[in-house]
Amino acid sequence: MNWDPTSPDTGVSRRSFLAAGAAGATLATSGCVNSVQNVVGTAANGQLSLSITTLPADADRQGIQIARQLESNLQQVGIDVSIDMRSPSELLKAVLIEHDFDLYVGHHPAGYDPDFLYEMLHSSFASEAGWQNPFGFTNMVFDTLLEDQRRVEGAQRKQLVQSVLTALAKSKPFEPICRPDEYRVASTDRFEGWGEANLTTRHGYLELEPTDGVNELLALKTDSRPTSNLNPLSATMRERDTIIRLLFDSLATVHEGEVQPWLADDITWTDVEPVDGEQGPTLTATVTLREGCQFHADERLAGEDEQLSDEDRHLTAEDVAFTYRFLEDTSLGRAPAPSPAPRYQSHVSAVDRVTADSEYELTFSMNASQPVAKRALTVPILPKQFWRGLVDRRAADGEFTAPQGRWTAATGDHVPPIGSGPYQFESRTEEDQLVLTRFDDHFTRRDDVELPGPPIDELRFDIDPSSASAVKRIADGNADVTASMLDAYTLDAIPDSSDIEQLHHPSRTFYHIGFNVRNAPFSNTHFRRAVAQLLPKQAIVDDIFYGYATPTATPVTDEWVPERLTWDGEDPVTPFLGSNGELNVAAAKAAFETAGFRYDDNGRLLGGY
Amino acid sequence: MLAEVLTQLALVISILVPVSVIVFIGRERLARTRSEWRSRLRTAGPVIAVLIGVLLINRVARQTAPELSRQVGFHLSGAFYELEGEFILIFQSIQTPETTAYFSTIYVYGYTFLLIFPVIAYFTLSDTRIFRRLLTAYALNYAIGLVLYILVVAYGPRNLMPGELMERMLYNTNPQYQYLTSEVNTNTNVFPSLHTSLSATVATFAWKTRSEFPKWFPIAVVLAASVAISTMYLGIHWALDVVAGTMLAAACVSLSDRLVDRWSVAELSEQFADRLPWPQNQE
Repeated sequence: MNWDPTSPDTGVSRRSFLAAGAAGATLATSGCVNSVQNVVGTAANGQLSLSITTLPADADRQGIQIARQLESNLQQVGIDVSIDMRSPSELLKAVLIEHDFDLYVGHHPAGYDPDFLYEMLHSSFASEAGWQNPFGFTNMVFDTLLEDQRRVEGAQRKQLVQSVLTALAKSKPFEPICRPDEYRVASTDRFEGWGEANLTTRHGYLELEPTDGVNELLALKTDSRPTSNLNPLSATMRERDTIIRLLFDSLATVHEGEVQPWLADDITWTDVEPVDGEQGPTLTATVTLREGCQFHADERLAGEDEQLSDEDRHLTAEDVAFTYRFLEDTSLGRAPAPSPAPRYQSHVSAVDRVTADSEYELTFSMNASQPVAKRALTVPILPKQFWRGLVDRRAADGEFTAPQGRWTAATGDHVPPIGSGPYQFESRTEEDQLVLTRFDDHFTRRDDVELPGPPIDELRFDIDPSSASAVKRIADGNADVTASMLDAYTLDAIPDSSDIEQLHHPSRTFYHIGFNVRNAPFSNTHFRRAVAQLLPKQAIVDDIFYGYATPTATPVTDEWVPERLTWDGEDPVTPFLGSNGELNVAAAKAAFETAGFRYDDNGRLLGGY
Repeated sequence: MLAEVLTQLALVISILVPVSVIVFIGRERLARTRSEWRSRLRTAGPVIAVLIGVLLINRVARQTAPELSRQVGFHLSGAFYELEGEFILIFQSIQTPETTAYFSTIYVYGYTFLLIFPVIAYFTLSDTRIFRRLLTAYALNYAIGLVLYILVVAYGPRNLMPGELMERMLYNTNPQYQYLTSEVNTNTNVFPSLHTSLSATVATFAWKTRSEFPKWFPIAVVLAASVAISTMYLGIHWALDVVAGTMLAAACVSLSDRLVDRWSVAELSEQFADRLPWPQNQE
């Protein structure tokens, strides 16, 4: 990729950023050899040294404890380890954008469909910056399987997905650890129907039932990033995009695992036979938009007369077609190298072509079967006028480069955001509060639309310092619900009271260790497998999650998992080398020796691979 | 929540301060202060202004500094951990619910009181020098602390070893205090421990004024030592932060000696006026 080494958008040169980081890292590892891109090093005594990137406890109580468990076990097998704590956006920047890490502990949002694995693992994304393939993993067999599972459905697809999972469990570009139970608490005096509310979805916020006279929801979030950035394309400012889904519409929406039309009034699917097994489109979707939808009122949508009119705010097929083109290349073909958005790539890669047939009609040519193609219809729809203008202004000076994930389109804070969703931006105080108000012109407010609309005037997200303080605040009756998933340590201490309701949803998200397979030693599958065997997944679930998690060998939910990969008290492929959470050091060292690594006389694992 | 915590803090301080004024200061000094307070304020005015200025800059910078810090600062949590390891876990041996309650109280209320009381006490001394030195030392602590916070990005032990510190982390036992601390600080500002440096500063001055306030000296020392230990016991600071805090206190106390009375406002304004390029008396 043709990346400009300096990023004019942030005002800080990337080089100085890295130099500072490298200086810090050098200090941190006191005497180890470090280079900028490759943090893995060999100490003066020949010992392998590496660094685990993770979040501090304030951001993720469980992640840091997994990191320290792993640190301890890596040290026991003779590896020099340091822990590199980063804030959430810095961690994602290091992992997703800069690829400057050895291994990290992360919490992946996963997806309702296993096709998110296509984005995570396909070789074509290995050099991209963003949520797509941060590991730098390349493997032809995987590519074929990942592509094939997109073209079929039903039992056939399930079988292919299972093959992907089996191959994944063996080659481990990342290692899933567990799926945490997702708990929230709500106060029952102002809202009803909490039981059904799934606050990870758009529907969750729209189906709330306020009691009489209640016009505001006060939700507590522990992650403050939404108060500083609401850019729907940002890779680093969010894992899940729940708030984005309230601010932006998509053609279809996911409700209880099913994809339903949303902004689309109608979606008609037509099968297309591929010509001679060529990779042509296999499916077309004819989409009819709801008429008369509008973007939120914002001066930046005004036309050349600089007066914002209803006409300017109109959401048409043009905006939809633009959105898909833009996500595929945020430079719109004007930069020397294309710059795909740093998220939604598995979505848009299923779309070959979008044509706007009329003001409200579009045809999508998809290279995928229905389950995957439907997922492509869930991306946020962006106003062409605004984003197009952004590219035009940047391209105007002639020297336009759009380094992927690092130029304004992906890094700008986009406050206020311009969407068409059921809620619109009202105000924010950074690190403190985000207020959204009902968008009165939203189509769900129409009488003839059967979908849930915004039930209350105002959604207020207050940033609370921790899960513990958020629970206390709900218990004291000073807020309605915790919007963020609660840390496991608070769950046993939730007061047992009729004023508080616990909301529990099975989670698809998973904790994992990600490896940077671009560099030795993590480029070596055997080394990754040996490291995976240092993870006492069951003990992690018991001790760190207090039992509120499910240990797993795969990154997807049970219905996709082949029997040979189901958890049976032990990881079926790479079981922990020890018992009751205690590492069997001799066995673990033997595993590294079998992987081709050597030890010196002092039991240190040598880095001279 | 924040309002609740602040009210509680204000209430406790508003009880502690008058009681200590009666116990430690004595009627005679108070009487003299009543007649001399104007002239004392005038003498100390510039120092008070400097301290308020530093506190205001500090207040603003705590919002903007984290961004700057991310760009120019060194990430040192890993290095601190590597250097001192799990040292602070030695306090495990004295951990009981009572000690946790004691150190939590000290960290929030004891510290605030420790900072406020000497300001009042030293104002009651006829010679304002020690009062001005104290305020100067406070200002230096905050100013140097801010620079170090920008240069060093580090998370405290509670962010690295939440499991081991579970039972005694301030924010687990008393989550409401986090509203207060997150209001005044960000979680990467741990080096040095300003709790320690300011407390040690107060203790050092208490020693210097032990003949004037004999009863205050032992109280200040016990409180200051408790504050320093509480920052480690509660998992907020590394031992290195506390050591650096103590060194910062020593530096600030000795600097305050050199700086106070070095310049007088009257002289400075005269010098400044002399250097002005235009004629002073236009006719």
